Amino acid sequence: MQTETINPALDAAALSRRDLLHRCGMGMGALMLSQLMAETGSVRGALQAATKNPLEPRQSHFPVRAKRVIHLFMNGGPSQVDTFDPKPLLDKYHGEKLPIENLRTERPTGAAYRSPYKFQKYGESGIPVSEIFSKTAECVDDMAIVRSMHADVPNHEPSLLLMNCGDARQIRPSLGSWLTYGLGTDNQNLPAFVVMCPGGYPIQESQNWQSGFLPGIYQGTYLDTNNVEVSKLISNIRNDRLPREQQRKQIDLLQQLNQRHLDRSGHDPQLEARIQSYELAFRMQSEAADAFDVSREPKHILDMYGPGTQARQILIARRLVERGVRFVQVWHGEGQPWDNHDDIEVNHRRLAGQCDQAIAALLKDLKQRGLLDETLVVWGGEFGRTPVVEMPKEGSNQGKINGRDHNHWGFTMWLAGGGVRGGTIYGATDEFGFRAVENKVHVHDLHATILRLMGFDHEQFTYRYAGRDFRLTDVHGRVIHDLIA
Amino acid sequence: MRALIPRFVILAILTPAALSAATPEQEEFFEKKIRPVLVESCYECHSSKKQQAGLRVDHIDFLKKGSENGPVLKPGDLAGSRIWEVLQHDPLDTQMPPDSKLDAAVLADIKRWIEMGAPWPASDVPATTEGAAVDWTQHWAFQPIGRPQPPETRNTAWPRTQIDRFVLAKLEASGMRPSDETDRATLLRRLKYDLLGLPPSFEEIQAFLADESPDAYEKRVESYLNAPQFGERWGRHWLDVARYADTKGYVFTEDRNYYDAWRFRDWVIAAFNNDLPYDRFIKLQIAADQFSEAPDDLHAMGFLTLGRRFINNKNDIIDDRIDVMSRGLMGLTVTCARCHDHKFDPIPTADYYSLYGVFDSCDEPKNEPSTLRLVDKERPSEPRVFLRGNARNGGPRVPRQFLEVVAREDRKPFTQGSGRKELAEAVANGDNPLTARVWANRVWGHLIGRELVRTPSDFGVRSDPPTHPELLDSLAGRLIDSGWSTKTLIREIVLSNTYRQSSRMTPDDEARDPENLLLAHMNRKRADFESLRDSLLAAAGNLDLTLGGKSVEISGSSTANRRTVYAFIDRQNLPEVFRVFDLASPDTHAPRRYETSVPQQALYLMNSPFALAQAQKLSARYEALEPADRVRELFRAVYARDPSSDEAAAAKDFIDAAPEPESADIASGWEYGYGAVDPDASKLTSFTPLPHFTGSAWQGGPQLPDDGLGWAMLNSAGGHVGNDLQHAVVRRWSVPADGRLAIRGELRHNTDQGDGVRGRILISGDGQRGVWEVQNRRQRTILSGFDVRAGDTIEFVTDLKGNLNHDSFEWKVRLTLDVAGVGIVESSSDREFAGPTPLPLKPWDQLAQTLLLSNEFQFID
Repeated sequence: MQTETINPALDAAALSRRDLLHRCGMGMGALMLSQLMAETGSVRGALQAATKNPLEPRQSHFPVRAKRVIHLFMNGGPSQVDTFDPKPLLDKYHGEKLPIENLRTERPTGAAYRSPYKFQKYGESGIPVSEIFSKTAECVDDMAIVRSMHADVPNHEPSLLLMNCGDARQIRPSLGSWLTYGLGTDNQNLPAFVVMCPGGYPIQESQNWQSGFLPGIYQGTYLDTNNVEVSKLISNIRNDRLPREQQRKQIDLLQQLNQRHLDRSGHDPQLEARIQSYELAFRMQSEAADAFDVSREPKHILDMYGPGTQARQILIARRLVERGVRFVQVWHGEGQPWDNHDDIEVNHRRLAGQCDQAIAALLKDLKQRGLLDETLVVWGGEFGRTPVVEMPKEGSNQGKINGRDHNHWGFTMWLAGGGVRGGTIYGATDEFGFRAVENKVHVHDLHATILRLMGFDHEQFTYRYAGRDFRLTDVHGRVIHDLIA
Repeated sequence: MRALIPRFVILAILTPAALSAATPEQEEFFEKKIRPVLVESCYECHSSKKQQAGLRVDHIDFLKKGSENGPVLKPGDLAGSRIWEVLQHDPLDTQMPPDSKLDAAVLADIKRWIEMGAPWPASDVPATTEGAAVDWTQHWAFQPIGRPQPPETRNTAWPRTQIDRFVLAKLEASGMRPSDETDRATLLRRLKYDLLGLPPSFEEIQAFLADESPDAYEKRVESYLNAPQFGERWGRHWLDVARYADTKGYVFTEDRNYYDAWRFRDWVIAAFNNDLPYDRFIKLQIAADQFSEAPDDLHAMGFLTLGRRFINNKNDIIDDRIDVMSRGLMGLTVTCARCHDHKFDPIPTADYYSLYGVFDSCDEPKNEPSTLRLVDKERPSEPRVFLRGNARNGGPRVPRQFLEVVAREDRKPFTQGSGRKELAEAVANGDNPLTARVWANRVWGHLIGRELVRTPSDFGVRSDPPTHPELLDSLAGRLIDSGWSTKTLIREIVLSNTYRQSSRMTPDDEARDPENLLLAHMNRKRADFESLRDSLLAAAGNLDLTLGGKSVEISGSSTANRRTVYAFIDRQNLPEVFRVFDLASPDTHAPRRYETSVPQQALYLMNSPFALAQAQKLSARYEALEPADRVRELFRAVYARDPSSDEAAAAKDFIDAAPEPESADIASGWEYGYGAVDPDASKLTSFTPLPHFTGSAWQGGPQLPDDGLGWAMLNSAGGHVGNDLQHAVVRRWSVPADGRLAIRGELRHNTDQGDGVRGRILISGDGQRGVWEVQNRRQRTILSGFDVRAGDTIEFVTDLKGNLNHDSFEWKVRLTLDVAGVGIVESSSDREFAGPTPLPLKPWDQLAQTLLLSNEFQFID
C-alpha cells in the first residue's frame, strides 16, 4: 500500500480527521494512527503528538541533503544569453534573421541580437559567465547551471505560478508552503517561510507564496525590505507601549490564570498548546528583532555584501537560514524588474549590478560558516528571454528595438549548495539559445529535484484535498539525478 | 485507523497480435535494439504505471490502439506512424522523448523496425494497468435517506430527544455513559456563542441563573434563534461554504472589486434570519432568476458568481462554480473529473462536462438589477468533453444533464434553457441522497464541534463513514420533513441532552474514546476569529451591532468596530490576521476551518494596535471605581462572572507591583512640526506640531496639499517644505543630557526643476549652526562637536528658498552625543522616525489585556 503521509507529525495532524485535530491539529492528510501510537506508545501519546505545533520540525522520506532553501527570484525574466548561456553565433547573425524560425513568444520578434556583454571562464570548472555577474562567477565551482530549463507559456502570470506553485492557474500551495508543511521549521521563534521583496509585491502578488489548500500558517510571511525597522517588517512583533520586563510579568499573570482554568477544565492538549504559544510569542519578539537587524553584523561582513537594498535583504536571508528558517524567497523587486523589453544592455547591467556582489557574498559567507552544504540556493526568473530582438508594438514597448521578449522555450537557472553537484553545466539550448534541446528540464523536474534534495519523493509527498491526493508536481516531474552530488 | 480501499485491477482485454508472428531474427533485433529504447526512454510515462495521453508502449497492441488522440503506430507504414513524427523533434510539434532527441543510430533502428512491420514477440503478455474499482452503488452516502426509528436504550431517564437515544445507544453498546449536564452559566455561554457568535453579559447570565421556570433554557433558545445576530453567525458559516470574498483575485489591471459582494452576504444573513427553507435557499443561489420575482433574490446567485476570476479564464471560472456547487452542497468532488474519470467516485468525465455545459450556457449581464446574477444565454451550448481537461482537445459531445451517481436510471437531458433551473431542482431535492445529509452534517458540526462525517465536503467512497449513520439519516430526514427548516434542526440539537453535557473529559472516557467519537461529553471549542474579535469588542463595550451594509476594512491600523462578518475580504492578498487565525480560505470552497495554535495569534493579541485599543477601552470603563470593585467589574466584563478570592488577590498583586509607565522611556526625542523662519536673523520664531500622521508621514491633513498647511510634510527620509517662509518644516530633537554633540547628515534635492531648498540647523530656535542650499544635488551637513545642555532642542529647518516648485527633499541626519562619564548617545532621524507616541499601557490596561489573552476568554466549554 501507499502511505499517504510522510511522517508522524503529519500523520498526527491527519489523525485529527476523526476528531483530534479538531482539538488543535490541522485537518490534513490521511491517518497513520497506528504508526503514531507505535512511536509514542499509546493512544494518549498519539493524541498529544497530534496537538503539537504545525511547524514542529519533522522528518522527510529520505536523508536530507538540503535543510533550507534560499530562492533568489529574478522576477521579470533574466536573459540567459546575457548571463550564463553564451551564444557566440549570435555575434555572427547579429542584425540578421536567424537561420531557424523564430519561436512564438509573447510579442513579435525580429533579428538576432548579440549579447552586449563579454563572457569569461571562471573557476576550476572553467564555466563561462557574463561580465555582469563577474562576482557571482567566482563561486561557479559551487554552482550547477541548468541551461535547459523550459516552461509552458511566455506570459508572466502563469509562469510565475508555475515556478512557485507547480500549476499555471489553479489554487495550489507554493513550494515553500509544501516544504514547511513537510518539514516544519527548526526555529519556532521565527516565521518558517519568509518572502522578501522591496517596494511592494511582484506580479501575481502573494499568490506566489500562497498556501493554497494547506493551512494558512504555511503561507509565506511577506516583508517589504525597503523598510529597515523590524517593527515594520513583521506585524505585531513589538509592543511599543509596554516595556519588555513588564510584559513578562503580564504573561506570568496570564499563565497563572490559565493554569487555574486548566485545573478546572481537566487535562486538555489544546489548552496547553495555547499556553505554550504565549511563551513562544514572547521569545519571538526578541529573536525576530535580532534576526532582521543586519546592523548587528560586523563591518567586514557588511562590506562583503556591499551597499543597497539587495545586499541588505540577501544578508537577512543568510541570517534567517542560519537561525533555522526553512524557506527564504528573495525577490528582486516590485513588479517585474528583469522584464527588459527595451534597453536590455543598460537595464540588465544595472539589475545585475544591484545583486551580483551580494549573491557572491552569500555563497561565500554560507560556505565559510559551513552552511552551504545544507542550504540550497536557487537563482532564476520565471522564464528567460529571446536571443532575438523584440520588435516595436503599439502599447507594449518603447519601440527602441534594443530589448528581448519573454522566452519560455529555453532559459537558465542555477542551483548551489545543499547537495548540488557544483561546477557543472546541465543541458543545453540550441545554438542560438532559443530553445532547450538537450537534457531538457521542465519546471516540474526542477521541483521534483528540489524536493528530492530536501528529502522527499515528489510522487509520495501528497496532501488529500477535495477527494484527491495533490502533489507539487501534479502528475509530472522527474528528478534530475545528475544535478545531485 | 480508517479502512483502506483495496486496490483491484482492471484486466486489459487485448486482441491477439494481428500480424503474423515475428521471426527469430526479428525478435532478436527487437529485443536488442528496440525494447531497451522503449524501456529506457518511454516507459516512465507510457507503461503500466502511467499512461500519459492514454498511451502505453509496452505492448504492440497498445501502440496500435494508440493514445487518446488516435493510433500511434502503423506497422510497415513509417509515414503513417505518429510515433515516428514525434521522434523527429520538429520544433513546431510534440517532441518525444521530451528531454532530448534519440541518437540518429537509434532512430535508424526504429525506422527499420517499423518498416519491417513492427515485430513483437508473440509470447509477450502486457502488465496490467493499475487502477481501482469499488462497487459504489453500495456506498452509504448514495443510498436513499432513511427515516430510522431511534433505538431503545437501557437508561430511559437520560434521553430528552430522539438525538439522545441515538447517541446513548452507541455509548451503552460500548459500556460508556454520557456526562452530566454542564452548569447553567456554561450552558448559556455555549448556546449564545453557537447561535449568535457572541458572549453573554454578566447580567444575562445572572437573569438565567435566577430564572426558575422549567422552560428557562428553551426561552433563551427561542430568543437567540430570533435575534438578528443569528443570521450573522450562521450566515458566516455559509460564507465559508461559498468561498466568499469582496474581490476577484488577480485580474491584470482590471478593477478587482466585487462592489456588490456584500449584497450576497446580506442576502445570506437575511435568509438565515428568516429561516428560508434550505431547499429554496439553494435553488435561489443557483437560479434565482428562474425561481423568484423578488429583485433582491437575484443577489443569491453571488454563490456562483463571486469566485476567483482566474485572470478571466472561462474554463477555470466554470470549474470553480462546479466545485462550489458539488462539494459545497452535495459533498461530491466532481472537479476531479475535469481531466479524467474520477479515480474513486462514480463521476465520469462526461458528467463533469454535462455540468460544464449548464454553466457555459449562462452569462453575467452588465447593467442588470444585480451584478451578481446569471441569465441563460439564448442558445445553450452543447458541451464536449475536453480530453485531459484541455479545451483545445475536444472529445465526444455530452448532453447537459445531472450526475449519474445521484440521478441513476432516471437521468434525462436538461431541456429548459441552460438547464440551470433543472440542476437546482435536482440538487435541492428530498430524493437527492446527499444534499440534506451534507447540510445536516455541517449544522451538527458547528454545534457539537465535530461533524458526524469528518470530511464534510467529501461524502465519496474514500471518505470516512459517519460515526452515527442512523443519527445522520434521522437528522437529514427530519430536515426534509420539517420543510427544510434549518432553525428547527438547530433547535432540536441544542435542546438535546447530548448538547447540554459537560465538556470535561473523564479519565474513563479518555481511556476508552480519546477522540470522543461517541460523545460521552461535549467538545470544548476555541472561539473562531469572528467570535474572538467580536468578543474583544464586546468586552471593551465597543461593539457596533449595526446590521448589514458595505464591507469594512478591519485589518492594519483600522479602528473599525463592526462585527467581523462585515470585514472586507481581499482574496488576492488576504491580510495576515485572517490567515493567522484560520479564516476559511476564500480561494476555493473550504470544507472546514483549520484550527492551528501558533505564536502569531498570540502576538496579535499581545501587541496589535487593535488588541491594545480594546484593552485600554475595557479598563477605561471602570476607571472611577475602587480597586477591588474595578477588578470585579473587569472579570464580569470578560468572563461574565466574579473573580474567585485568589484571582482577585493575584490581580491586586499585579496592579500593586506594576510601575506606572514613564512616557519618557517610550518617546524617541523627535518632534515634527512647522514654523516661521526669519531669514535675516536666522531664527525660528514659532514651532507648531504637524497635526496629521498618515502612517508614513506627518502633514497638515489626510491629503496633500492641505487646505491650511499646504505642502508641508515630513517623512522618515525628508519631506516637502511648506508653501512660504511662515511654513518651513521643522524636525526637532530634544537633548536628553549635557554633553558634546556632533551631527552628520546629507541634504538632497533630486531634480533640476525649481530653485531647490534651504536647510539650516538651529539650537533652541536660535543660534544657527549651519545653513545650506541645494538644487538638484546633495550636500553634506556636518557639524563637529559643540556643547549642548539637557533640554536644548536641535532644529532641522527646511524652507522653500525662493519659490515653491519641486521642493521635495531628503535630509537624513545622525546625532552623536558624548555625555561625560556615561558614554555615547546616538540618534538617527530616519531610523527613529515615528508616528504619534501611543499612550503607554497603564497597569490597569495591562490587567484588562491579560484577561482578554486568557484561555477562559478564548475557549467555549
